[in-house]
Amino acid sequence: MPKTPPPEAEAGQAAFAAALLDADAPIPADVAKIRGQAPEKRFAVYRNNVVVSLISALASAYPTVKRLVGAQFFDAMAGVYVREHPPISPMMIFYGAAFPGWVESFPPAETVPYLGGVARLERARREAYHAADIEPFTMEQFQAVASGVAPERMPELRFTAHPSLRLVRSAHPVFSIWADQNGHDVPVRQGGEDVMIIRPRSEVTMRQTPPGGFTFLSAMSAGQTLAAAAASAEAETQGFDLASHLTAALESGVFSGVKAPEG
Amino acid sequence: MADFTCEADIPARTGVGLKPEHYDAVLAAPEGTSDGSAHVAWFEIHCENYMGDGGPPHAALRAIRERFPISAHGVGLSIGAERGLDPEHLARLKKLVAWCDPGLFSEHLAWSTHDSGFLNDLLPVPYNEETVARVSDHISQVQDVVGRRMLLENPSTYLQFETSTLSEIDFLKEIAARSGCGLLLDVNNVYVSAVNHGYSAEAYLEGFPLDLVGEVHLGGHAEDEDDFGDPLLIDAHDRAVIDPVWALYDQVIAAIGPRPTLIEWDNDVPEWETLAAEARRADAVLARYANAKDAAA
Amino acid sequence: MSNTAKSATVIGAVAVAVASVAAMHGNTPAEAAAKEKCYGISLAGQNDCAAGPGTTCAGTSTVDYQGNAWTLVPAGDCVLYSTDASDEVYKLPATADGAPREGALDALERDIPSA
Repeated sequence: MPKTPPPEAEAGQAAFAAALLDADAPIPADVAKIRGQAPEKRFAVYRNNVVVSLISALASAYPTVKRLVGAQFFDAMAGVYVREHPPISPMMIFYGAAFPGWVESFPPAETVPYLGGVARLERARREAYHAADIEPFTMEQFQAVASGVAPERMPELRFTAHPSLRLVRSAHPVFSIWADQNGHDVPVRQGGEDVMIIRPRSEVTMRQTPPGGFTFLSAMSAGQTLAAAAASAEAETQGFDLASHLTAALESGVFSGVKAPEG
Repeated sequence: MADFTCEADIPARTGVGLKPEHYDAVLAAPEGTSDGSAHVAWFEIHCENYMGDGGPPHAALRAIRERFPISAHGVGLSIGAERGLDPEHLARLKKLVAWCDPGLFSEHLAWSTHDSGFLNDLLPVPYNEETVARVSDHISQVQDVVGRRMLLENPSTYLQFETSTLSEIDFLKEIAARSGCGLLLDVNNVYVSAVNHGYSAEAYLEGFPLDLVGEVHLGGHAEDEDDFGDPLLIDAHDRAVIDPVWALYDQVIAAIGPRPTLIEWDNDVPEWETLAAEARRADAVLARYANAKDAAA
Repeated sequence: MSNTAKSATVIGAVAVAVASVAAMHGNTPAEAAAKEKCYGISLAGQNDCAAGPGTTCAGTSTVDYQGNAWTLVPAGDCVLYSTDASDEVYKLPATADGAPREGALDALERDIPSA
């Protein structure tokens, strides 16, 4: 077989960046040689810093995923991810947005079909944690608004979702698995689960929503009217109880405001 | 050159890097002290960790800044990058500085962002005229947007460039002259780079423009070796400051008098008390030279 | 919007539902008054300016999962959960359970609505 010539080293930050994420790439031409040699181990310090710090950022964002697959598997998997998806933004608090979807299509992890769903939960928790601080719209505030709306206009009410609200739907019992992994005593049963993540004030809270809840809240947070959201939920779940879902949503601080019908 | 306001509310005392692990310990301390030690006079944040929209990090910072001066230390601006500064990141920094109102504001002589993304490390630059011009422009831009004088930190480096034509000191001096920035002298970085590249840290400090130093950093480093078995020190911030670095620190403070001094400990973060003990040691040095100055006056 | 959603039945149902919610006695959770001490630091995430682990480790080796080089299999707590669709109880009996449990930082409720 013909021998492939070693790639030509280039200079500057493009070459430096390329060599950081590819251990087979040559050390940039402008890096000072030591005793006539490219300083492999010195350059390796930067290679390691970049890759290990990014793996560590993923590990702190996805601790339950790491526990589920074990440290060795997680670090190897994350090592592949960080090379395929290096961060765009300098804010490590948000690194790894694409990780849940990527995990779902990562062949070596396919024996753990719920892994991506658990990652979605962890991502949602991280986003809720850093979301804007806005006082949730209270039951009392709602009652005050509702008292000024004619009954026939009630279906036209639209709510604004609290900025920390995240909804996760999975075909797997990801809420129960997360809870079981994080010190809560819950049975983990076969079947999909819908989860609502919210941080109305200081603490991130997570609740499994009953049938219809996910669809109702998704529609409400997309700005649909109360009637449309209720109809979507009813279409999915017969006997959807609007009053109890609306009460629970208000008591959980899911909304930050309501828009009364105009005119 | 614009005239930048700089609130001098960071005392020439010891501060420590603020870690989430210590929020509760810091806030549990009696008013006017930090855990009773009274030797931690201020805290430094890594700006990027407080650039979310809100939440507990903001709440903790608001609570802590009510009781302690805060210094803002950026780690993601990529001032040494060949490409221009990220305007979105600059805007986030401006917003943070506006609400947090730090007493000092600093960043690194390094780059971390390229077209391929953010590399999450402080990468080295060659010391030459081209880099001087680029870094000076970037710092001027940062100072204009943020409205503060910036302190530029000397780096720990593990390799050098064929394309360097200036010493690190001449390089820093020229950038400070052109941009009007001050300098953050990281004494551990001086030691690490001196060992890694085989020069004298004492001689480096004798040549350093100490009058520009607005803040001093101290931290721990790890030891490794290069391809030839020569020592290669790594700026790991994962342990206590070593005695040779304390000796260099003494040399600096003896020369310029007390300056705000930070203990950095970012990996394997210890119990609060261990960190406070490091702070006490730095505070003792500062107190000794403050007293000497008073006695001489 | 569909005709169904506009139907008189739905309008009536929504009006009744809202009216029943509006008629409830004020019942806002007491969380606002609670002293906010928990910062949930496990969620904090970090940028820092420290260097990492030295000259030898993950940064200098790549693992090709598409070739034959990938020999790792998930080996953490995932072994606690069955993925067999015929298992009603997804969690296997915790025979060898020694998994570390961390303290709960979050309020956790199984379901809403609770009523």
